[in-house]
Amino acid sequence: MNAKIKETLFNPIFKGNPITVLVLGICSSLAVTVTLKGALVMALSVMFVTGLSSVVLSILRNTIPSRVRIIVQLVVVAMMVILVDQILKSFEATYPIDKQLSVYISLIITNCIVMGRIEAFALGNKPFPSFLDGIANGAGYGLVLIVVAFFRELLGSGTLFGLQVLPSCYVTNNLVILPPFALILLGCIVWVQRSIQKDLQEK
Amino acid sequence: MNTNNNFYTVIYTTIVVVVVAAVLAFVSQSLKERQEANEKADTISQMLTAAQFGSKASFQKIGNSATIAKYLEEISEAYTVNVAGEKVAELPLDKVYSPKELKAQNRLIKNGGDAQIPVFVFKNGTTVLPIYGAGLWGPIWGYIAFGTDNSIIGAYFDHESETAGLGSRIKDDPEFQAQFKAQQPAFGESEIFAIVKGGAPKDASGADIVDNKIDAITGATMTSKGLDEAINAWLGAYSAHMKAQPNTVEE
Repeated sequence: MNAKIKETLFNPIFKGNPITVLVLGICSSLAVTVTLKGALVMALSVMFVTGLSSVVLSILRNTIPSRVRIIVQLVVVAMMVILVDQILKSFEATYPIDKQLSVYISLIITNCIVMGRIEAFALGNKPFPSFLDGIANGAGYGLVLIVVAFFRELLGSGTLFGLQVLPSCYVTNNLVILPPFALILLGCIVWVQRSIQKDLQEK
Repeated sequence: MNTNNNFYTVIYTTIVVVVVAAVLAFVSQSLKERQEANEKADTISQMLTAAQFGSKASFQKIGNSATIAKYLEEISEAYTVNVAGEKVAELPLDKVYSPKELKAQNRLIKNGGDAQIPVFVFKNGTTVLPIYGAGLWGPIWGYIAFGTDNSIIGAYFDHESETAGLGSRIKDDPEFQAQFKAQQPAFGESEIFAIVKGGAPKDASGADIVDNKIDAITGATMTSKGLDEAINAWLGAYSAHMKAQPNTVEE
């Protein structure tokens, strides 16, 4: 694996994480992190959307009229999002999760990570690196989602993936379930990351 | 090639949109059947949960086909009634009402139109009635099961987008749903059922008294109110039918 591909693939996971460093996609990370299952499905859905729309738009990049660039991107991303929603609704295993995530699956289209990566990367690079970039950014987003969901489900419901892990004498914390706590947790994650990675700190 | 002239731009966007529309139409058509099957099985599991044949999770575990088989085994009769309590039509036994169909009937109930609302009777005498209304963020609906004496034996509610952890407890909190058990709605009265803010009347030991009142959900006033209104509107529409049932206990 050459260094450039490695960089494309691993940079968005930690060093250039779309949520904690670029601060994109915050809204949905507050909404879908109440349970781990929901966060996992959301993470995979976003990876699907970012990966495939990056490939498609990267293939089309030299043909797209620049004046309607954003509209064309939007149409392609919207298509991917609807596909994800339709697929999730069609399987017995994912149907209840799709119901739980309700509008947030459709709202992937408004996730700034998707359009951000297409504008910044896919329109200027070949399909394969664009695909990797899309997948990696989706994964970086998903990783943060899963970390946040882990704490929120554990402290808010006393469960992990729906299985009871804390003893029943634990009084579940309602604050953890509410969106503001996701913001607090995100803040802590940003804090931890910036103290490890000193070059991110602003002077 | 100049990709910026008007002709090219118009043709290009047209092609992109047509291709995307075709792909989506194809996918939607080919997955429709599966999606409807999932929705139907979900509705059936809600009705079975309300009628105390198991928990929602247990039906999820046994899967769609086993859930539907269980339903067809237990159901004895399904029909529609109008607001005057008269039976309108028999329904096929495997017919259930999707939230969309309930919504259409809800509009008729609200506007005083000719609503034809479904009644599901199980072999053990349990009657399951649907309700539908508006929560805080979107529609809420559910099923209430009645024993032969018209007291509630169970309830299950669902919602589209109530706040997780607050309004969504109408669906996720078994304790909230358990409160409905044994309560006796006052069919025919102006207030058939009440979800009370500040607490329903309790007896000396702190247990909920059997009446037509239960506790609302703390922090979910609007959802509780919406559910209260939905129950009263729908049970109101069913009142004539429920009171006319021969096995109704006179008070």
